[in-house]
Amino acid sequence: MTENPTEEVLTLNNVEVVYDYVSLAIKGVSLAVPKGGMVALLGANGAGKSTTLKSISGLLAAERGEVRRGEVKFQDRNISGLMPQDRVKLGIAHVLEGRRVFEHLTPDENLIAASAVRSRHDAARNKDRVYSYFPRLFERRSSAAGYLSGGEQQMLAIGRALMTQPKLLMLDEPSLGLAPFLVAEIFQILSRINREEGLSVLLVEQNAIAALEIVSHGYLIESGRIVMHDTAEALKKNPDIQEFYLGGAENKNFRDIKHYRRRKRWLT
Amino acid sequence: MDILLLLESALNGALVGLMYSLVAMGIVLIYKSSSVPNLAQGAMVMLAGYVILAFSNQLGLPLWAAIPLGIVTMFIIGVGIERVALRRLAGRPIIMILMMTLGIEIFLRAGSMTIWGGTSRPLPLGISDAPLFLGPLLINRAYAVGAGVAVAMFVLLVLFFRTRIGVVLRAISDDYTAAWSVGISVERGVALSWAISAVVATIAAVLWGSVQGVDQSLALLLLKGVTVAVLGGLDSIGGALLAGILLGIVEGLASIVLDPLLGGASRELVDAAMLILTIMLRPHGLFGRHDIERV
Repeated sequence: MTENPTEEVLTLNNVEVVYDYVSLAIKGVSLAVPKGGMVALLGANGAGKSTTLKSISGLLAAERGEVRRGEVKFQDRNISGLMPQDRVKLGIAHVLEGRRVFEHLTPDENLIAASAVRSRHDAARNKDRVYSYFPRLFERRSSAAGYLSGGEQQMLAIGRALMTQPKLLMLDEPSLGLAPFLVAEIFQILSRINREEGLSVLLVEQNAIAALEIVSHGYLIESGRIVMHDTAEALKKNPDIQEFYLGGAENKNFRDIKHYRRRKRWLT
Repeated sequence: MDILLLLESALNGALVGLMYSLVAMGIVLIYKSSSVPNLAQGAMVMLAGYVILAFSNQLGLPLWAAIPLGIVTMFIIGVGIERVALRRLAGRPIIMILMMTLGIEIFLRAGSMTIWGGTSRPLPLGISDAPLFLGPLLINRAYAVGAGVAVAMFVLLVLFFRTRIGVVLRAISDDYTAAWSVGISVERGVALSWAISAVVATIAAVLWGSVQGVDQSLALLLLKGVTVAVLGGLDSIGGALLAGILLGIVEGLASIVLDPLLGGASRELVDAAMLILTIMLRPHGLFGRHDIERV
């Protein structure tokens, strides 16, 4: 690559992840998130999107996964081998798939618990900030988080990540199971945070339509490999993406899908 | 039957029950902060008793020095148990962790048997035997002191779980992975919960040791502790307190009413019945949290 490395907050070079020493989940993923940029990682179920995020946040160990090859660089520093909490301290926040709020805690307590790596003073300030982005959380701050609606839980999960004062925010399918208007609302807030605070965002999505509206670049991952990388505009125009990820497959039939697969093998 | 006698055993039962709560609170504490049901809590009480005696008898320290030293030692042992036995199990199925705590229980009992033998040793706190009357009812002073300490411990723990660290521990118990994702050091949190629980066990050991001496039978307090903890709802400190009182009263009455009919052992029967019925009829206990299910 020709870009100046200091302009990237995150770079993955040929990262390979195995689970249980044998099963290869991602096979040489390379991607980069520019500082202050918004990048999407698109792909179908089981393509390796979540695994890629976990290799960055360090949550693989809990699932007996490990980065076997390649390097994960955050702000030009190789972070493979760091514990998850040390990565959070450096500024990597990972919003997990399925929201995973602390159900028996109130939203307020969720936010407090998420400020473990920051000082008490910062925690109070960050909490105000989160509530200003998500006023609805403030209204429901003292009921059990498990009883919030799906959209509110997603807001809480994002707010919780913001409590760690991240430089890079990674979101794993924030649109999952949410009504379209909520997805739009949450994505709007995300791009607002990205604009106002210069927070870099890596967005993992199956919902490519919504994701490509707010990001500048996108990567397409399939069976553990990056098969395409381009600007959001170009990706939106790409006929293959339109067909398989943007739902524009009206006049296609199964033969074309086979054709696509053949072509993709050629690409990689 | 004499109503005063019944009242008296109910009252003393309630006080003993509060001392059971002290054991149960240790179990609740670990469960509330790491979702692990600790089957070694009774053995930790027993070990704490031996540790205090080691400081006071073998090193010749006065009790007021031996008890704080015992607390510090047990704190370190609690951290050590997490570090050596539990850390590598984080994220593994709960059944393996449960079996590990059972293994720790057996190890602590066998280990203390090897080191200190099986004879019972007194742990005199100097609580006077002089009768204490509440109206016409005779109260056991040692039980009254124990009950008071249990209530104080309850207040402290409730306050603790409202602090920042306490909230973090509750978050860990809710979801390990999510806790990791926001930078919580799950391992350190679990270690802290074991350490605090070991301290609570030490306080229980002082009180129970003064009542019945220090020997292997202290480890049997696990059965009372588990019953009370389950009855109260495994993650509720207040539940442990009230369930302790409830179990104590039922036990006290049972020993008066049922013992003559059954010829003894009715306390244990009542314990077993309470535990089994709770799990059958109300698995979340009296005050335990419910698994939240949204539609």
